[in-house]
Amino acid sequence: MSWVQVSLLARGLSRRWGGICRTALLGAPTAQAPRGLHCSAVIHKDDVWLVPRPPEPQKKPIKVPVLHEELFTPSANGEQDKAGFLRAVRSFGEQSVRKRGHVDFIYLALRKMPEFGVERDLSVYNLLLDVFPKEVFRPRNIIQRIFVHYPRQQECGIAVLEQMERHGVMPNTETEFLLTQIFGRISYPMLKFLRMKLWLTRFKNINPYPVPRDLPQDPLDLAKLSLRHMEPDLSAKVTVYQMSLPRDSTGTDATQPHIVGIQSPDQQAALARHNPSKPVYVEGPFPLWLRNTCVYYHILRADLPLPEEEEVEEIPEEWNLYYPMKLDLEYSRGAWDNYEFDLDEVTEGPVFAMCMAGAHDQATLVKWIQGLQETNPTLAQVPVIFRLARSTGELLTTSRLEGQSPPHSPPKGQEEDEALEEQQR
Amino acid sequence: MASIHKLLTGTYIHRNFLKPRAALHPFMGVQFVDYSSGSLQKQVAPGDRASQQRKTEEGVQEGHHKESALDVASLDQRPEVSFDKAIRDEALEHVRRLKDGIVAHCIGPEGRPMQEVIMEQARVIWKFREKEDLEKWMVTSDKTIGGRSEIFLKMAKNNQSALLYGTLSSEAPQDGNSSQSGYCAMISRIRRGVFERKLSYDWSLFNTLYLRVRGDGRPWMVNIKQDTDFLQKKNQIYSYFMFTRGGPYWQEIKIPFSKFFLSSQGRIRDVQSPLVVDKISSIGFTLADKVDGPFFLEIDFIGVFNDPAHTEEFAYENSPALNPGLFK
Repeated sequence: MSWVQVSLLARGLSRRWGGICRTALLGAPTAQAPRGLHCSAVIHKDDVWLVPRPPEPQKKPIKVPVLHEELFTPSANGEQDKAGFLRAVRSFGEQSVRKRGHVDFIYLALRKMPEFGVERDLSVYNLLLDVFPKEVFRPRNIIQRIFVHYPRQQECGIAVLEQMERHGVMPNTETEFLLTQIFGRISYPMLKFLRMKLWLTRFKNINPYPVPRDLPQDPLDLAKLSLRHMEPDLSAKVTVYQMSLPRDSTGTDATQPHIVGIQSPDQQAALARHNPSKPVYVEGPFPLWLRNTCVYYHILRADLPLPEEEEVEEIPEEWNLYYPMKLDLEYSRGAWDNYEFDLDEVTEGPVFAMCMAGAHDQATLVKWIQGLQETNPTLAQVPVIFRLARSTGELLTTSRLEGQSPPHSPPKGQEEDEALEEQQR
Repeated sequence: MASIHKLLTGTYIHRNFLKPRAALHPFMGVQFVDYSSGSLQKQVAPGDRASQQRKTEEGVQEGHHKESALDVASLDQRPEVSFDKAIRDEALEHVRRLKDGIVAHCIGPEGRPMQEVIMEQARVIWKFREKEDLEKWMVTSDKTIGGRSEIFLKMAKNNQSALLYGTLSSEAPQDGNSSQSGYCAMISRIRRGVFERKLSYDWSLFNTLYLRVRGDGRPWMVNIKQDTDFLQKKNQIYSYFMFTRGGPYWQEIKIPFSKFFLSSQGRIRDVQSPLVVDKISSIGFTLADKVDGPFFLEIDFIGVFNDPAHTEEFAYENSPALNPGLFK
C-alpha cells in the first residue's frame, strides 16, 4: 500500500472506531462526522445550508451578447421611446420572411420594454404578438391538441401575456384575434387570455382607496393627493403654507421647500379644546406608499387626556326649542345582539393635523406650525415638542387601552427627543 | 420547548417546489389543469391591483407546511441551551395540554360554555397585547429561496399592537430557475392540542373577517388555509386582498368569507368554490407588490364577526368558457 492509502485507511479507521489515534498525517480538522473508509479525502462541508446564500453583489453579471440586440440600441439622439421600440420590432420582421429566432427576439423585446417605457402600452404588445408567424402553430388534429403543439412558442406567448398582466394591461379583441390566429382556440396562451379576461375584470375595482396610475410629477400636487388619500374626513381642507421656488429662478436664498397641510373641522375643534398646559408633539417623518413612490408626512398630535380630565359637554335642555338635541331612543335590536369585540381597542391621542414638506427638518416644520396658528389661534399658547425620528420607522405613539391610566413617562425609543419648547409670541 | 419540538419533528426540510407538472388530460379537449412546467419561470406575486391573479405560494406554502421554518420572531430572543430544562418543560407542557384538553371537553367547545359560544357574534381570534402573542406567528420571506427580502415581527410601542416591518426586494435569486421574486409573509402557527394534534378553528357562526391594522399604503394579501388532517388539501389557499390606506389612523378592514377565492400552488383555480369555515387551520398575510423598499404594518387584533347585512354566499361564479365540463 502506498503512503497515501495507508493514511487514508488510518484516518477512516480511527474515525470509524471512534479512535483516539487521530494522526496528524493529513492535518484533518477535528469536527467531522464519521465516514466510511471509502469516502474521498476531500473535506466538504457537512453543515446543511439552510438558506442558499445570495450572491455577492460586487460581482457584476457576465454580459452575454444576445442576437438582435443591436436593433434596440438607442437612436441617434439617445432617447428610447415608443417609436424606437416599434422600429426595432418592425426591422426584425423585415429582415426575413422566415422570422428565425422569433422566440428569442420576443423574449429580448419583453426585457427591453421597461427601458423604452412602453410596458403599459397595449398596442405595443399586440405588435409584439404580431411577430409570431400566423397559422403555423395551430393544432390541426387531436394528437396535436393532446400534446402541447410547439411548446416553446406557447410558452413565449404566455410570457407576453404574463408581462401584460404584471403591468396591469388588459388585452382586447385584437389580442384575442391574434392569439387565435397564431395558436388556435385550444392552446395555453388562449387559456391564459381567458383567465386574464375573467380575473382582471373581477379585480379591477376592488381597491377601496384607489391611487391613480399616473401620479402627478409636481411634488406639490403629489403632496395634496397623498394628504387627501390619508384623511378619511372629506370636509378636511388642504392648505399650502409655502410653495417651493420655481426651478428657473436664480435666487440665492436657501431652498424653500413646499409645505402642504391638511386639517379637518373636527380636528380644528379638538385643537381649540386642547388644554394649553399639555404639550403637542410634531412627529415624523412617516412613510406612505402610493403605488411605487414613497412620500413622507408629519403629524401634530397630543397625548390622550387623563380619564379624570375628560369632560363631557352638557347641553342644557332648553337650548333649542325646535327639536331635541339629544335623543335617547332605544331602537336597537334586542339584548342578545352584541357585535362588539370584547377587547379594548388601542386608543391613541388625537391627531390634529398632518403635513407634507419638502424637507424634514425642524425649521420647515416650525413654519408649518406658524401657518397652523393662523387658523388655530389657541396653538399659540400650547407648547410644541418636536419628535423627529432619525430613521423612518413605525409610528411612535403614546397609546393606552380604554379604562387604564396612561403611562407616566413618554416613550423614548428611536426618536430623538428634542424637547425644544416653542413658546409663541 | 419550541426547540425540542423542532428537534423531534426533524426540522429544516427543504422542499422542491414547482415540480414539473404538465398536466394534460388526453381526452378532454380544453380541460387544462395547471400548466406549469419546470422550464417556466417561477410564479410571482403580482401587486398591482389590476393584475393580482397569481402569487408566490412557495414561500407561504413552505411556511405552512413546515412550521419550524426559518422564523425570525423577534430580534432580542436568546434561545436557551439547557437540554434537561427543555425536556422537562416539554413534558410539563404536554401534561398541561392533556389536562386542559380534558377539562375543556367537559365544559364545552374550546373550553367555553356552549351557550356563550352559540350566542357569540364577534370573536377575537388573535390579539397582540403581550410578547407571548407573537409566538403564535411566524414570518417568512423569499430568503428561503435565495432572495433578499427581510421581515421582522415585534411588539410596537407600549405593547398594544404588533409591528411587522422589513424590506422587500424583488431581485431574483441567481439560481438559474427563478426569474422573479420578492415576497414577505406572516403566517399563524397551527395550534397544537393534546398529543400534538393539530387544532383548527370553527368559524361557522361568523361570516366576516375583521382586521384592525395600520399600514403604509401597500396592498397585502390575506390567505386562509383549511385543516388538512383528513383531506389532502395541502396546497390550497383561499385568499383576498387587503388594501391599507396609510396614514396615522387605525383602519378597520372587514373581508367577508364569501370574497375569498381559491388558488392552488400559486395559481388561481378555474373552478371556484366558497370557503368553508368550519375547519380553518391558519391565516397569513403576504406582501408581494413588486415594489422594492421598506414596509411596515401594525396590527391591533384579528377577529371574526357575523355581519347580518352581508347575504352574499359566494362572489365568483364559474365561467362556461373556462369550465365547460361544469355546465354540461
